[in-house]
Formats: sequence, C-alpha cells, structure tokens
Amino acid sequence: MFNTDDTIVAIATPPGRGGIGVVRLSGPNAQSIAGALLGNRAQLKPRTATLATLEEIASDNDTERIDQVLVTSFPGPASYTGDDVVELSAHGSPVVLEAIVKAAMRSGARLAEPGEFTLRGFLNGRIDLVQAEAVADLVDSVTPLQARLAYDQLEGTLSTEIRAIDTTLFDLIAGLEASLDFPEEGYHFIDRRKTVTAIVDISARISGLLAGGRRGRVIREGRQVAIIGSPNTGKSSIFNGLVGAGRAIVTDVAGTTRDLVTETIDVCGVPVRLVDTAGIRDTDNAVEVEGVLRARSVMAVADLSLLVFDQSRPFDNSDLQLLEETSSYRRLIVANKGDLPLAWSSDPFTAVSSRIVKATATTEAGLEALREALTAELVAEEPRRDSPAITNTRHLDLLERARGELDRAAQAVSTEISEEFVLADLQRARAILEEITGQRTTEDLLQHIFSRFCIGK
Amino acid sequence: MSHYDLVIIGAGHAGCEAARAAARMGRRVGLCTLSRETVATMPCNPAIGGTAKGHLVREIDALGGLMGEAIDATGIQFKLLNRSRGPAVWSPRAQADKQRYSRWILASLEREPRIEWIFGVAAEIVVRDNAVRGLRMADGRLLNCQALVVTAGTFLNGLIHIGREQRPAGRYGEPPSTALAESLKRLEFRWGRLKTGTPPRLHRDTIEWDRLEVARGDDQPTPFSFMTDRIRNPQINCHLVHTNEKVHALVRTHLDDSPLFNGQIKGIGPRYCPSLEDKVVRFPGRERHQVFLEPEGIDVEQIYVNGMSMCLPREVQRAIIRNLPGLEAATLLRPGYAVEYDFIQPTELRPTLETKRLKNLYLAGQVNGTSGYEEAAGQGLIAGINAARTIAGDEPLVLRRDEAYLAVMIDDLTTQGCLEPYRLFTSRAEHRLLLRIDNADLRLTSHGWNIGLVTKERWERFVDRRRRFEQNLKTLRKTTVTLPDGCRVRASEAIRRPQLRLKSLIDSGEIELKSEEKTKILDLATVETELKYEGYLKRQMAAVEREQQQAECKIPQGFIYAQIPGLSAEVVERLTQTLPTTLGQARRIPGMTPAAIAILGSLLLRGSKRTLGKDKQNRDIMHAGHERKGHDPKARAPRRSIRASAQR
Ligand SMILES: Nc1nc2c(ncn2[C@@H]2O[C@H](COP(=O)(O)OP(=O)(O)OP(=O)(O)O)[C@@H](O)[C@H]2O)c(=O)[nH]1
Ligand SMILES: [Mg+2]
Repeated sequence: MFNTDDTIVAIATPPGRGGIGVVRLSGPNAQSIAGALLGNRAQLKPRTATLATLEEIASDNDTERIDQVLVTSFPGPASYTGDDVVELSAHGSPVVLEAIVKAAMRSGARLAEPGEFTLRGFLNGRIDLVQAEAVADLVDSVTPLQARLAYDQLEGTLSTEIRAIDTTLFDLIAGLEASLDFPEEGYHFIDRRKTVTAIVDISARISGLLAGGRRGRVIREGRQVAIIGSPNTGKSSIFNGLVGAGRAIVTDVAGTTRDLVTETIDVCGVPVRLVDTAGIRDTDNAVEVEGVLRARSVMAVADLSLLVFDQSRPFDNSDLQLLEETSSYRRLIVANKGDLPLAWSSDPFTAVSSRIVKATATTEAGLEALREALTAELVAEEPRRDSPAITNTRHLDLLERARGELDRAAQAVSTEISEEFVLADLQRARAILEEITGQRTTEDLLQHIFSRFCIGK
Repeated sequence: MSHYDLVIIGAGHAGCEAARAAARMGRRVGLCTLSRETVATMPCNPAIGGTAKGHLVREIDALGGLMGEAIDATGIQFKLLNRSRGPAVWSPRAQADKQRYSRWILASLEREPRIEWIFGVAAEIVVRDNAVRGLRMADGRLLNCQALVVTAGTFLNGLIHIGREQRPAGRYGEPPSTALAESLKRLEFRWGRLKTGTPPRLHRDTIEWDRLEVARGDDQPTPFSFMTDRIRNPQINCHLVHTNEKVHALVRTHLDDSPLFNGQIKGIGPRYCPSLEDKVVRFPGRERHQVFLEPEGIDVEQIYVNGMSMCLPREVQRAIIRNLPGLEAATLLRPGYAVEYDFIQPTELRPTLETKRLKNLYLAGQVNGTSGYEEAAGQGLIAGINAARTIAGDEPLVLRRDEAYLAVMIDDLTTQGCLEPYRLFTSRAEHRLLLRIDNADLRLTSHGWNIGLVTKERWERFVDRRRRFEQNLKTLRKTTVTLPDGCRVRASEAIRRPQLRLKSLIDSGEIELKSEEKTKILDLATVETELKYEGYLKRQMAAVEREQQQAECKIPQGFIYAQIPGLSAEVVERLTQTLPTTLGQARRIPGMTPAAIAILGSLLLRGSKRTLGKDKQNRDIMHAGHERKGHDPKARAPRRSIRASAQR
C-alpha cells in the first residue's frame, strides 16, 4: 500500500498518437505544481478549461516553451479521485506528454502506479468497486463499443440495478425475520406462495442481468470467426479484404494456404479474430493434410464460420459435403467471384437457412454487406444504455452464485421448510450481491481487484 | 476496612450472576445492594425468555449460571415459542412468580460461602494508577477490592415520569444513585440517556376474568435448565384483551400530558417495545392492539398489563383501563410510568466487559444500554467470570459469534454502541442455525467446566448426554429403515425427507435410540437437526471458517489510525473511539466504509510482509505507532521511466 496523500502524475490517455493527450495530476499539491509548470501566470478557475502556455523550468533556469495546453482544475472532493485534480490537455505526441510528466515530477509530483488514480477514487469513496473495475475495462478496451459499455458501467447503471435488486431482497428478508423474532405479535408475513413468487422474481431480475452479461462478455472478449471452403474459392482474398491489407498469400494455385492465418478486426465495435484456413479437400500431401486438419479444428471452436464458395465453378460433392458437415454450426455463406459467370445450374442453398452474401473479393464488392452480416450474427442487438451489460467475469460469477442461492431458497420454501433455513439462503444471496457493489468487502475480493491494478508491486 | 477479591455494585440479574460465578470460581465477593428485598427483582414484566432471550438463558445455564434453574423453580406458565418452526428458533418463555423468583435467587446466593452482603448505598469508585482499587460507600465505609463490577441498572440519575409529574428514582419507590453517577462521570466515559417504560398494575379481584379470552401455556412445559428434569409448579393461565377506538381516542386527547410527546423526556426508548402512546400515534391504521393480562405470581394480587406501557397521568390511565371490556371496574394498583436513566456507551468496553479506560472496572447490564433481565444476566455472568479470571492472571473468556448469543450481544454492544435500549433478536445472529437451545450445552458446558464454574453433577450429566448424542448419530448413520412407501434407506437419509420426523421412526419401532426420559425432546432435536439440516449447517460452518480468518486478524494495541493514509477523518474517529481488537470487529463498527476495511485489511494481512516492509513509516504504524515523521513527497523518486499508460 503506498501513500495516498502525496501528489501523483501520469498520462491519462491511451498510448499512441491521438489528437489530444491528457496528463493528470492528483493530490494536495496538484494546483501548485500545475501553477509552477504554467509559470504561475494562469489563474485556474474550477471546472473551466483555460488556454495556457506550458513552460518547463529547465535545470539551467532557461525557460523553454514546450506546448500550448488546455488546463482544467477540479478541486476535491468533487473530483475523479476525491483529491484536487488538474488535467492538462496537450497535443498528443508522446514526447510532449512525457516531457510534461517529467516537469511535474521535478516540481514534486510522484509518478502514479498503474491504477492509482482509480484506487484513490475508490478509497475516497468517489467510486464503488464496480465502477473501479469498469475503469480498468475502459482503459483496457480496444474498440469504441467496448469503451461505451465500460463507460455505462462506470456511470453506475450496473451498481444501481444491483442495489435495486438488493433492496427488494432486503425487504423480503426483513419480513421473514420479523415473523421469526416476533411470533406472538400477530404478524403473518408468511404466505408461502407469495414468498416463492418474490424470490423467483428477484432471481429473474438477476437472470436478466446475466443475459446482458453474456453479451457483455462477447464484446469484452471478442469472437472467433473461421473462413472455410474448398481450395481456391477466394478465402484468403476475402480475409485480406476484411482485414484491409494483403495479410494472406493469394495465388491461383489451389492449396495455397496451409497454416492458419489470424488477424483481429473491428466489426461494428466487436473485436473479431478472423482465421484464414487451408482449403478443405482429400489429399495425399502431408503438409496439406495437416492444414485441413487445423481448418476443421478451428471450425469446431469458432463462434461463426464463413463458408466461401466459388460460384464460377459447378457445385460439386465436396461442396455439398461441406454444407452438411457444418449444418449444426453457426455459419454465414459467401458466394464469391460474382464478377465471373455463374456456373451453378440451380440454387444449392434452397434448403439452407443461413444468411447468404454475394461477393467479389477482387473488387471488394459485397464486403460491406459481409461486414453487416457479421455484425448481425455476432452482436444480436445494439446494447442500450438502460440494460446494463456486465463485462466482468467476476460479476457474472457472483451474480450466478447469488441466483443459485435464491433458487435454493425458492425450492426450500416449496418443501415447507421453516423460515430460518430459507433465510440462511437468502442472507447468503444478499451477502454475495453486496460483494459486487463493495458493501461487504472480503479480503479475497480486494486481492482480486488490487492484483488487477498491480497495487503495491 | 474490608478486603475483597471482587466487589459488585447491584444485586439485580447481572449482579447476582456475576457474584455467584466469581464465588464459585473461588473468589471472595462483596455484593453491594440496598437491602435483601431488592435482590433479583423484576421491575417490569413478570417473565423470562422469549425469542433469542430464551436462547440466552439456556446459554447462561450451560455455562453454570443461575437464571435457568431459578425460572424453572418459580415459573408459573411455560411456552416454547416458534414451536411450529425449526429447532434453531424454538425459544422458551415463562411467566415468573416474581416474589418466589427473587427469594429463590437470594437463597441460592446465601448458600455461597464466599459471598458477603454489603447493604447500603455505593458512592465512589476509588482509583489509583488507572486501575480500580476499591469502593467507598455513602456511609463512609471503604471496601478494598481487586476488581469492581458495576451493575447499576436504571439507577444512574434515574428519573421517573408519570404524566407531568417527575421524580428522581432508580425504580418505583427506590432512590436513584446520583453519587455513583457522579463518580463514574469523573472517569470521563461517554454517556447517553435512554428511556424505558412499564405498564400499570391492576388488582386481580377487580377484573371480570370470565369475559376475557384465555391464553394458555404449553401442556408439557419445556424447562430452561439442562439440570431441570421436570417443572413442578402448578401452571396458570394468562388472558388476552384488545384495545379499541375509545382507548385510542383517549390517548390522542391526552397526548399533551404524555412526557413522551410533550418534550419532557429526552432519552431514547426501545422501538421494539413501543408505549401505548407510540402505538396509537405511529400506527393510526391499526384498529386494535393486543394486551395480555399476566399475574405477577400465584398468590399475589398484582396483574401486569403487558402491551400497555405508558406514562400518561394516573387519571387518564385509569380511564383507559376501564374502557377495556372486562376491566370496567378494575382498580389501578400502580400506574404505568417511564424512566429515564444514564448509561455508559458500551463501546467503552472490551469484549471481556472490562472498561478500556480503567483497569479492573467491569460494567454489566442495563448500565451498558441493554434492556431485559436476560441480557443483563448474560453480561453479569461474563463480567463476573472475566473479573474472577483476570485478577488470578488467567486468560479471559471471550466467546465467538458463532458460538453463543452471549457473544453476539457483547460483540454488538462493544463494536456498535447503543442508540436505543439493546435487545437481543435471533436475526442479530448471522449463524443462527448453529446457535440453538438444544445444543447450548454442547457449545458451552466445556467452557464452563474448564473455568471451574460448572459443578461436577452438571458435568457428569453433560458427558452422559454428549455420549448419548454421539452414539445416536452413529446408530442413525448405520441403521437401515423401511419407510411407509416401502423404500429401504439408511435412517440418516430418511430423516432428510421434508415430511419425515425422527419421532415417527422411533414410534413405529424402525429405530431405537438412547435417550433419557427427562431430556428426550432435546436429545432427539439435536440428532434430528444435525442430520436433517446437515447441508445448511455445513454451509453455515463454511461461512464461519471464512469469517474466522478476517475476525482473527488482530489489530495491534496502540495502532494509530490517524496515520493510515486514505482513511477519512470520520472513519478515523470511529476507529479511535471503538479501538477494535480484530479486523472482524472493525468491520462491524457502524459507519465503516468498505474502503476503510480494505485499507486496514491490506495493511494488516498483506502489508506486514511486502508493502510495509519497504515503507518504514507504515512499518512503524504496524509495530507500535511512533510519532509520525516528516513526510517528503519527493522521497519516493520515480523508479522507472515513464510509461504512457492509460491504466493509471
Ligand atoms: N475473378 C475473381 N477472382 C477471384 C476472386 N476472389 C479470388 N479470386 C482469385 O482466385 C484465386 C484464389 O484465391 P485465394 O484467395 O488464394 O483462394 P483460397 O480459397 O485462399 O485458396 P487456397 O488457400 O488455395 O485454398 C486467386 O487467383 C484470386 O485472385 C473474385 O471474386 N473474382
Ligand atoms: Mg488461401
């Protein structure tokens, strides 16, 4: 555990060459350190961005101008960390940002440990544990949609919903407890049927969160999509088209691709691991046999298969076999080489319910439609702000456990067992819910969170 | 000048338990009270037990205390509450014959050779070097002692209210202890003021009993004590009436005369035991409230009007009573009244009930903000035991929350303090299923034996009973039985079926268990519960073990919270006031934030090795709490080059 009463500094925006980069200072000296960097010329108005010239006091006392910055001061406790915070937005070159950080350190700031801003926010009661974890998601997120989900969580939609569930549960518990502790006061809280209904209701609300959670997990962890087909149908060409670069080798020789080629792409906010595979056929070539084997195993674990067919070639038995082989998988059918004359005498997909996309890989025609089809398959619906998605595995796990206790309680009520046993289950469910919002924190929980933020290393 | 090992102020339910426990443990005890007539009285309701309180009495008994045997010997109506529910919430309750109860306790204390009576008014606590040395009586006598147990009840600056009339009094007709209150106040404890109330008493012969609804006790009384074979007293009935709109209207009309509503009373009353005024004002929608008429003894004329505690003027009380059917001609022997009294915030106490400020001073009972004879007796027992042990240099007895309601109560008091009079409830025990009346002896009697409080007779009885219990468990796990539906399964599995009771297996001759005729019900309850609810008990045990780790994480004495980074001023204040000894206790202090516990936890659990190891300042906090050294923010030079990372 490090100090939480000194002033820390770090670059707060993702690495890389963004338009604007932000350096954040937090702690009792945030204002004065910022003042020193600005040559004390700028008067900082709380929560108002001020344009200023940043000056670095060099060691030889030469004042060298390094950048134009926007400075915003957030006095504690109503700041992100609860301490005094100053944010300096500068042009996002890493060199400039690092120079600002170094200058702040010379003025007495300490370089923040990973997660330390968030930790301070948590310790000062500015954010709860759910939100603290959401921050980690936010900064981990690769794509904009992920960032949006993480942001929703940061705003506390999830905490609010879990608290609401917890409150309902608490009401129920209170009634049952009262009937046990005051048996002679003429209270009759216990209508078994109503109790079961109430418990099942709460359990259903958790199920709702969990369903959203599975979608959340998809977005968080991304999906795997395999490109499958007979040799030479244009799989690698489609792959390159989706990736937007000549990543895989393309030749007119059937059996060009042998090993798996993988690239992560962004499909409407979902990170997708795209895997190009060897064309599937019977062959004696040892290397190609291995390639086909790998293609099949990827197909088995992928979330979705893109079946690529060459429509300029007659639909043969091996194509038919592939269709049958993949009938139980989630798949998307691509009829490629649309620029060449159609060689199929009849529509081979009349009995197939999968989505079919016509494409010409060489001209990239149909690739946009293919992207849309991928989106439709992978992200069933756009996430809405009012249904909080859970992107954290720990939350999924805890909610599932809480639901387990509730289901046990519901079952116990229907076996006519006495209230104190039902209550034992319900109380556990509540303790679990409170572990999510940090009301009842255990050392295990903290260890998990703090290990994620590398605290104290 | 007289010398005692232990002096106890007050011979109420707390003082009597403390005195007998210490005496039986071999200490010379001086028991200080006004007169023989004021020993173990019941100034409020004539009953012992009830939910959670009944559990407490079982536990007091299992440790070798007085209360269980006393009520068994003098109870006149017994009832096992929550009988329709599971054994974990069965709670015994009994009406007592007040006079006989007091006389029974007096007699048993008089049989203890090491107890000496000191009649008179306690006036001043004698202190030297931050430790108690003795007690000065109002008449000037000085009693030297190694430890002092104060059980002053409602006597500290007690003030009785009846209507607009006020008079200083500890109990009805007894003077308050103002000198003792002064003496305690000089010790700078944190104080509070509470209020409690009692209903009117009526004359038995002026009530038309045959017009009232009868409330019976159990046909087969369940004793409180593990030593009682059978209840011998004749059993009486209580009676039930209901308030009505006329009564409520009278209360409303005269609300201005009620000290509870005209600002005269400042102390806080118990929410769980509302006065009639409160009931009428706070629950205007309720058309009637139940009122029990309870005799205060077999051959006494006082009838206690349970459910009607009030402090309206005497005339209004009479009018209210006479508006109840069957009570139109009832004579009011004594009006209901409210009493305000000072109490010491129990956060001033260690889990042993010794005060944190002053060595060898113990507090027990209502003076700690509790209400109820049972709560008082339980604290008295623990204070007596610990005072007796500490002066002999022995480790104190501190029970765990999963071991006894006694511990739940003391832990609640010492970590949370009191905002209203504290009463025990089963819902206060997070491990309720483990704390049952049937297994109180299995939980506690060995403790009582080890500290020398349990008699040989009780111990032998217990060892027998424990052997029976273990054999019966074995038998049930081995024997195969045939169920009504023809299934043949092991008895231990059969019992898990919701509808199947152990008794029916025994009655049908499917299985034979060892049991003492006298303790049969509880003998069977223990084995049946252990098997029938095995899953629940196991889950609760697992939770206990998890919490144990946190609870056992000790906070070193002299830990200076103000030096821990990241704790808010408010949290620091609460921690400094309460001085928890473990992380588990700290967690239960009201107003503690999860974040604060997180910081404390990582300081205590992980910090000692890794983090604190490299930070001298925190290490100092951990190991004694020296003065804080000047802090230089630049002292922590950056250890590595800047990484542009958004994870900061
Ligand atoms: N005319 C036309 N030619 C295409 C199209 N897509 C791919 N081709 C050509 O078809 C040949 C094979 O393309 P690849 O992308 O290597 O096919 P593949 O399915 O990866 O082949 P293997 O890796 O050998 O299984 C190349 O010569 C491509 O230029 C298309 O849409 N139209
Ligand atoms: Mg290829």
